[in-house]
Amino acid sequence: MGWWPFSSSEQDGPKKTTGGAFEQPSRSNRAKCYEARDAFFECLDRSNILDSINTKDGRAAAKKACSAEDVVFEKDCAHSWVEYFKKQRVVNYQKEQTIKKIESEGGEIFAPQLPTRASK
Amino acid sequence: MAQSCNCIRGAAKALGPTSALRSELNLLRVPARRTIATINPPHLTSTPRIAPNSLSNPCLQSARTLVQDGWSLRSLRNVGGQTRAFTESASRHKLKTMQQIKARNRGGPFSLTGAVLFVATGGCLYAYFTYERARMTRKRIAEQTKGIGKPKVGGPFDLIDQNGARFTNQDMAGKYALVYFGFTHCPDICPDELDKMALMYDKVKERCGETILPIMITCDPARDKPAVLKEYLKEFHPEFIGLTGEYENIKQTCKEYRVYFSTPPNVKPGQDYLVDHSIYFYLMDPEGDFVEAIGRNFTADEAAKVISDHIEDWDGPLNKKDRWA
Repeated sequence: MGWWPFSSSEQDGPKKTTGGAFEQPSRSNRAKCYEARDAFFECLDRSNILDSINTKDGRAAAKKACSAEDVVFEKDCAHSWVEYFKKQRVVNYQKEQTIKKIESEGGEIFAPQLPTRASK
Repeated sequence: MAQSCNCIRGAAKALGPTSALRSELNLLRVPARRTIATINPPHLTSTPRIAPNSLSNPCLQSARTLVQDGWSLRSLRNVGGQTRAFTESASRHKLKTMQQIKARNRGGPFSLTGAVLFVATGGCLYAYFTYERARMTRKRIAEQTKGIGKPKVGGPFDLIDQNGARFTNQDMAGKYALVYFGFTHCPDICPDELDKMALMYDKVKERCGETILPIMITCDPARDKPAVLKEYLKEFHPEFIGLTGEYENIKQTCKEYRVYFSTPPNVKPGQDYLVDHSIYFYLMDPEGDFVEAIGRNFTADEAAKVISDHIEDWDGPLNKKDRWA
């Protein structure tokens, strides 16, 4: 992200408010956060951990296996984003499993439509 | 007698390009005339059976081959002027050579030109009806929300744009508007959708000109002040319009657009929170009526096509000038 003017703050992570939110949720800050998130999730995958937030066991396991990545994740992302992404990981996995289950039973999945698009 | 002679000459003429055969006929013309005359003059032009197999005269042989051909028989009759074949048509006399005749008759009533015309007409009709059906479907969708007793999406609002200027629903009049609700602290979906909106906007503009306003209305007025929106939106598209306002104004606007959102009304400065909200693009027509909602399942290309088709259907006044000019 060398062309971006905010890269001076790269060492300390993006500027945040006292509450832990981004001051500027700019494209470069988002990219940095996604990078940290992906690194953390890769670590979870290696350790075979799905849920790092909802259960006590999960939190403990994630802390034991991936605490370094978690620190960077928290540093580069707004705290609300960290929670969001950790929960999203579980939801996405469940969604995938459900879709697989439906498809293995021969069902079809349609994207939800507003009632105004009566026919397509 | 003279008739018979003409017949043979006509037959020779009909053979046209086969010059060898023609010269043969020329040589044999006189004996041929005599032979025919001696056999059965009154019936010559009325029956093909005038040339039995036993005839050895080569001219008669060739005359017989002509006579065996149905057309030739009719031609002979016509030249004689005695009878009139019931299948006769004027155009056939324009056919001069045997090749032409055979080519004309090989396929019966079907010809290449006819086939091409048939397929072309069918294709045109199919394309036209497909187009009309798609247009009627769009018209039905567009008019579903017009008139009385229909669900009303959208309505009057009074907000502030990213430059701090007042922006109301009146500023949308005369142009289509693509309205998206979001907030700048959105983790992943809104940025993706705004990137898509930039693509959609450029594609629609390319096809329909300056006929659409890309508008993002924040659901998080506590944090999204005009300056924040300006900084945020210019990363997506320089022409995006960002609207914010007082919490009550935003709440009222969201209510009119039937948008669900969950911003806490009283937030402390610096508080970290997310806003849950509906993620549809709302297409509004130049009269401020809702046309169609575009969800996440649409790609930028699909969405741009849907929007452009609606814009091209519009036959009311459309302000094509740039709003800021």
